[in-house]
This record gives sequence, structure tokens and C-alpha cells, in this order.
Amino acid sequence: MKLELTPEQEALRKELRVYFKKLMTPELLDEVSQTPGEGGGPLFWKAMKKLGKDGWIGVGWPKELGGRGMSELEQFIFVEEVMRAGFPFPFLTTESVGPILAANASPRLKKMLVPKILGGEIIIAIGYSEPAAGTDLASLKTTARKDGDEWVINGQKMWTSLAHHASWLWVAARTNADPEVKKHKGISMFLVPADAKGYSLSPVHTLGDVRTNATYYDDVRVPADHLVGEIDGGWKMITSQLNRERLSLVNVGSFSQLFNNVAKWAKDTKLADGSRVIDQPWVQINLAKARTGLEALRLICYRQAWSMTVGELSMQDASAAKVYGTEFFVELYRLLGEILGQSSVLHRDSKGAFLRGRLEMLYRTASIITFGGGTNEIQRDIIAMAGLWMPRAKR
Amino acid sequence: MDFSFNETQKEVQGLARQMLTDLATVERLNAIDQQDDRFDADLWKQLAEAGLLGVAIDEKFGGMGFGFTELALFVEEVGRTVAPVPVVPVLVSAAMPIQKFGSAVLKKAWLPRIASGEVLVTAALAEDRNEDPALPLTTAKSKGKSLLVSGTKICVPFAKMAERVLVSAKTSKGVVVVLVDPKAKGVKLTRQVSTTREPWFEMIMKDVVVPEAEIVVKADKGAAAMKWVSERTMTAMCAMQIGVSDKAMRMTASYACERQQFGVPIGTFQAVQHRAANCYMDVECLKLTTYQAMSLLDGGFEATNEVLIAKIWAGDTGHRVSYAAQHLHGGFGIDRDYSLWRYSLWARQLEMSLGTSARLLAGLGERIAAGKAYAD
Repeated sequence: MKLELTPEQEALRKELRVYFKKLMTPELLDEVSQTPGEGGGPLFWKAMKKLGKDGWIGVGWPKELGGRGMSELEQFIFVEEVMRAGFPFPFLTTESVGPILAANASPRLKKMLVPKILGGEIIIAIGYSEPAAGTDLASLKTTARKDGDEWVINGQKMWTSLAHHASWLWVAARTNADPEVKKHKGISMFLVPADAKGYSLSPVHTLGDVRTNATYYDDVRVPADHLVGEIDGGWKMITSQLNRERLSLVNVGSFSQLFNNVAKWAKDTKLADGSRVIDQPWVQINLAKARTGLEALRLICYRQAWSMTVGELSMQDASAAKVYGTEFFVELYRLLGEILGQSSVLHRDSKGAFLRGRLEMLYRTASIITFGGGTNEIQRDIIAMAGLWMPRAKR
Repeated sequence: MDFSFNETQKEVQGLARQMLTDLATVERLNAIDQQDDRFDADLWKQLAEAGLLGVAIDEKFGGMGFGFTELALFVEEVGRTVAPVPVVPVLVSAAMPIQKFGSAVLKKAWLPRIASGEVLVTAALAEDRNEDPALPLTTAKSKGKSLLVSGTKICVPFAKMAERVLVSAKTSKGVVVVLVDPKAKGVKLTRQVSTTREPWFEMIMKDVVVPEAEIVVKADKGAAAMKWVSERTMTAMCAMQIGVSDKAMRMTASYACERQQFGVPIGTFQAVQHRAANCYMDVECLKLTTYQAMSLLDGGFEATNEVLIAKIWAGDTGHRVSYAAQHLHGGFGIDRDYSLWRYSLWARQLEMSLGTSARLLAGLGERIAAGKAYAD
């Protein structure tokens, strides 16, 4: 047991920190803070392509797929640093859907898409949820029907985030509606190009400024090899994608930076009586609570990344990371917001906004994370069942 | 980075778990509770024969020669079985500093006999209203080459059964660390009753003579040495808390699968599952932060922040898991014929020993304010 990074990993982290300091120009920061967490602007895409060209996106991917051949741990260090830098990295495409697709897509699609993912050229949006299928995802109603050499997809998806920047969609559809077959055993995965005929979308604007979308599939036709994996074999890919998504969702990079920024601000800022903000005992306690929680999350994440290098990510650990991390973030934004006090509610466009209004924006987005990526109630069910051998809860 | 245990660590863990599960049975614990002192001397002897008491003692002094990680994993197993053996005060707080800082003569005099289970050497880390053994109120003054030690230590585990007690005391030149014979002239031991019934003593010292040969650390390096002892003791307590809380949680999950109400196991209720799931996350956080502290200390790295963080988790996890375990067990859990009650007592004692969450949060906050604890 050795929980420290190797000297090589430390060196990689330092190299990345220098790299991102140069990459994150004030212009790029301005552009990305207008669309929190989304990116999609011209400077964003320029930076994405540079990340791809410089070999960072695939740092932990195998060489035969165009990566640098390092492990999942190095990949995780890269993601932590890209998040720390405040770049809205499309981690669901690269860290979550990407590896599943690389393992399961048809040779033609794999050859076409993997270089584009690692080159920073595309975003793939995820189409799972539907108006009537959220937490009970396996009840989804979008259908895919084989017609000659093509699949014909019909239905509607909700919360298809980043679809307005995506050139591909990763869509779950029912391929077996036999009432004798269990719901989750009749679902298959498809890759749909965003320029396909019959595909359309409409925006959904959210509390946290993040735009998401409803997407519509009206007799969308895709070639037979756009089916990913086996027919009716989609559920396993969905759950393994979600396990990876849960890890990416709670990456500590940007939050460590946020913590440091608030601590430095409190150290450098004086109150009316001349004492520093940080000299107040309650400020120190808030910071200590934040630091204690962050440290545990950092270790949870690294343990997960390490687990991926040696074998499979366990279900209960992925769920525990997701629940702990997301609920901690909600608490973290409050602990840090309290230190800023009144100015923590100043919008990024306001005079006097601190850190480009990040804390004001983050607390609004925080309500997404506890239910997004699989609601925390279901995650707790999974922990009790897989981690503590308790019975499966009745539905 | 490696989160797995190596072969040696697995062997120590496996041996300790096997022996303690077989020997520290509920019947045995009940029998020990009838004694004046909660100490299983036979078990201590058996652990010595298996080599476990010397797990972190050098081979030339009769030990196995492994590191702090292996010792802490053994301590974790003691927590898992709440066995009545003084692994933390003797093997961590006393034997480790003797081995690290003691003279050749001291090491030879004590380490082989600690490893063989022949003697107990304990440590006095707490004073009234002072929990930092690196800043003792107890004093030592020179008398020729000897020292005269005066002061009061409290909650000293196993002081009556010990041959020596490791004590820190302040002098005009700094803090010294010495071995005090609890039977020496000027020492008065008075029994204190701790919540776990671990035998504790108040130890009043009045001009107790400590010969030069029994000085473990001289005044120039004593404060640093006691910080060294504190950090290892705190981390070992965290390891013990892992065992205590993990076992209490698993007993609870099993019980919830068996206990039927309304015709179904209560473990099928989501409200019950979710409280258990919260325990799971708490135990994971405690494990990871503790293993990190162990790994850093074992590697000889600076670990002040990491030890503070682990002990804060030990306090919070112990508190939350033990109450959740008691609550979900209902009346069954408070019945002394079932062993859960012992886990609650240990969770509380470990939580409140050598730094509570509130005090340590304040300490960590001060370090953040001083620019010593950024999140890198």
C-alpha cells in the first residue's frame, strides 16, 4: 500500500499545470465563463484541438487506439488538472462514452470516431432519459426497428446535454418490446449522427444557466453498423458508462482550486478593523471542514482510478463516490459562500463579482448533481445491496 | 500509487483476524468483563507467540521487523473484535518511540521483552485540560545526571500493569521524554473508570527519580519526538476506529436482513438501507484518509495535515456509525448479551481521545490560515 503519487506522476502533474497556465488565456476564460460547463465557442474548440494534437486527451489510452499508453491514473491526473484550470472539458465524451465505444463499436465506426474523440474534434451527447423514463431508465420507450440494412429510430429524449454542440448522439432504444422479456434486456445502443434526417432538438434553459436539450427522433435512419455491441445488450454498456460518469462527475480538480482561491482571498482581504478575513475562527472552521471533505473525495477518486488500472470498477464504490461527492459539493459551496458572505451572491456580470461569479453560479448548478447521473436514492440502494449485501429494495 | 495490500500486509491482517476472531469471542469478552482489569493476558501471550506483538519491532530485538502499516493493520483487527489488549498504548505509543529514539541499552532492555509479551510498557499522553503531549505541564529538573519528574498524567492506560510508562515533561531547555517506573517512589496511581473499562489510571508524580539511562529523548529533541509519537498514536486510533465502525456497520446490515417486521426483513426498507449506506460512505472516507496517513508516516513523509484529517474522520465516522448501528438494531442492540454495545463504547472513546473533531478542525483551520494546508 502506497497512497502517494510516483515521482513520474508528480512530474506529469507539474507539466500539466504549466501547460494549462499557458492554455487558459484571459480571452478563453471569458468565453467559457459565459456558458458555464459547456464550452462550444470558437476559442473552446481551438483549445480542444490543441489538447488533442498535444496528445493529452488520450494520455491514458492504449497506443494502438492513438493514445499515449499510460494508465487510467495518468488519465485521471490529466482530467483533474484540466478541471482545475477551469476548462469545460467534455469528459462524458472522452472519459465515459469514449472508452465504451472504443470497446464495443463496429470496426468502421470505431476507426472513424476514436481519432476524432482523442483529437478533440467532437462531442458526443448522451440520449438516455425520456419524458417518462428518468430514474426508472429501463422503462424507456424510444424504439429502434431493423429495416433492411438500416435501423429506424423513433422517440424523444430529455436532458440531452451538450447536444447543441455535439456531432454524434449515443442513444438508448428499445429493440425488444416482448412483455415476457425483462425491461432492461430489450435495450440496445446506437450512434446517431447529429445531421441525420428526422433528428431535431429544442433547448431547455436551467436554473444553473447550463443549457440542456430535448431531442427528437422521427424515423431517423442509421446504417446497421451504428448499433453498438449486441442487439438487446445495451444495459450493460449503460451501467458501465454510468459508473465511469459517476467518477468523472466528482473529480476534485476544480474544487481544490476553488478552495485555494477562497482561502487565499480570506488571507489577503482585510476587514474594516484591519484584521484579515481568515483571522476569524469561524472562517478557519469552514475552511477546515471543506479541506477535510475534499481530501476524502480526492482519495475516493484516486482509489477508483487505480481500481480501473487493475480491473473493474465496483458498483458500490462508483455509487459511493457519486453520493458522497455530490452531497459534499452542495455543502462545500455553502461553506465557501458563507466566507464571502454578501458578495457570494453577486452574479458574474455584476460589479464586485468574485472569481467570475463562480460561487454564485455553482450553488445554482449544484441541485443538478445529486439527481443527475443516477439519483442519489438509487445510488444508496446500490451501496446497501452491493456493498452491504442487503436485499434489493422493492419498487 | 497502490491501494492494495502487499503479501506481508495481507499475511499480518489475515493472521490477526483469524486469531482474534477465534480467541476474542463474545464468551471470552464476557468472562474478561468479570475481572477488575479489562485485559486478556492469555490472549496477549498468544499474540506474542504468533509474533504479532513484535510486528514493527526490529528482528534483532525479537520482532518481525515490518513497518507502521503492518502494525496499524493489526490494530484495525483489534478494533474489529474489540479485543481487550493494549496494542495502541504499548506497541504504538511506547515501543515505537523507544525503537526510534532510545539508546542501544534501552532498546535492548525493553523491546525484546515487549515483543515476547513478558512486560508491558505504556505511555502517558494526556494531562488534565491538556491533550498535547508535545507541550506537557509535567516538569523535570536535573539532579546530578538524573531527572526529578513532577506532575499529573491522566487516563494512562494499563499503568498499574506496566513496568514503565513513557512520559513527556518540560525542562528549562525543552521537553524531555523519559521512562518512569510506576512503582517508583513518588508515583501515586489511582484507578479511573473509562467508558470502555479499559484500565486507566491517574498518575501523580512528585519528584520521581528517573536515572539518566531511562531518558529516551533529551530536551533539544523531545517536543519533536512527542509530535512523532502523537501522530502515530492518532493514526493507530484511526485504524482501530476503522475496525470498530466497519464491524458495527456490518453487524447492522446482517441484523437488518434477519429481523422481520410487518412480515418482511427490515433491511428491505429503503429508509433502513439508506442509513446503512451513509455508514458505508463514512467508513470508506475514514479508511482512505487513515490509510493515507499510515502510508505517509511509514514512508517517513510529513503528514501533519493528513493525520489531522484522518482523526477528524475517525471522530465523525465513529459518532455517526455507532449511533446508526444502535438505532437500526433497536432494543436488540442495547442488550448486553449481544456484543454491539462494546463497539459503541470504543467508538466514543476513540473519538474523544487525543483530539476531538472540533479541536482538530480548529487546528487544521489555523494551518490553512498560515498557508500550510492548501489543497494541492
